[in-house]
Amino acid sequence: MVDFDPAIIKKVFENTDPVEVKPEQIARFCASLGENNPLFTDGEAAKEGPYGGIVAPPSFAVTFRNGRHFFEHIPRFGRRGFDAGKDVEFVAPIHPGDKISLHSHVKEIYEKTGRTGTMVFVVIRSTLKNQKDQVVAHIDHRFMNRP
Amino acid sequence: MKKFEELTIGDTLGPLDLLVTKEQCRTYAKVSGFGEVAGRFTDEEAAKKEGLPGIILPGNMSLGLLSKLVTDWIGTSDARLIRMGTTYRVPVQPDHRLVLNGFLTNTNPSDRTAEIDVWMENEEGERLVTGTATVEFPK
Repeated sequence: MVDFDPAIIKKVFENTDPVEVKPEQIARFCASLGENNPLFTDGEAAKEGPYGGIVAPPSFAVTFRNGRHFFEHIPRFGRRGFDAGKDVEFVAPIHPGDKISLHSHVKEIYEKTGRTGTMVFVVIRSTLKNQKDQVVAHIDHRFMNRP
Repeated sequence: MKKFEELTIGDTLGPLDLLVTKEQCRTYAKVSGFGEVAGRFTDEEAAKKEGLPGIILPGNMSLGLLSKLVTDWIGTSDARLIRMGTTYRVPVQPDHRLVLNGFLTNTNPSDRTAEIDVWMENEEGERLVTGTATVEFPK
């Protein structure tokens, strides 16, 4: 069985300072995905939509990783790990000008044996909040390590 | 877009036929703060040093493209993508044809949500990324 200190489970290891969402950041994000839905790209058309203006595409939520800092805190069980998947709950849309903070903890660590051998999965739960302290998304990052 | 009452199990989303360029991949990586962390998404040589065939798409970018498949289906209606789960099975390479598909698997009248299987495949029909999405329709 994988050996780790159970005290790390549920312990919040990251509370970031709020980061302001700039309109151009949303625009660049949309361009990289070939996004053309007017709710995300066209200010005039979006005014008539359900949010009264442009919002970020839902998956923009996964960009709030705080870069290198995030990786420094992921427990690793082996020489190399990689991103195995995500589960994202989109609670509320992200608007330009929102200030988003990220709060992360280790949700779960488990071992699985498949055709290619033993793998250790580390699940990091990140919760994103806006400037009104409202939750905008819960993200479970699933990382796979080979011991 | 169909109304909730008009949905039928087996309704399809897509196919969305894409060619994601290396430049798009680099832009996504930079916007997402990956640029400084992992060269495998931006630098051909760095990716090869890791044993990869070349630059690969960040997993989150695949999640973004599959989310786009669903939000394209939603269009400008009041329905909302409320959940997306993905499993990254095989590294996704830019400059290769990608086909994204979805399939409506269930509807829940009590909370007016629809469950959708989504997946991304390559030219050979190999499933590179699979996932599930939930869409909530207005009450």
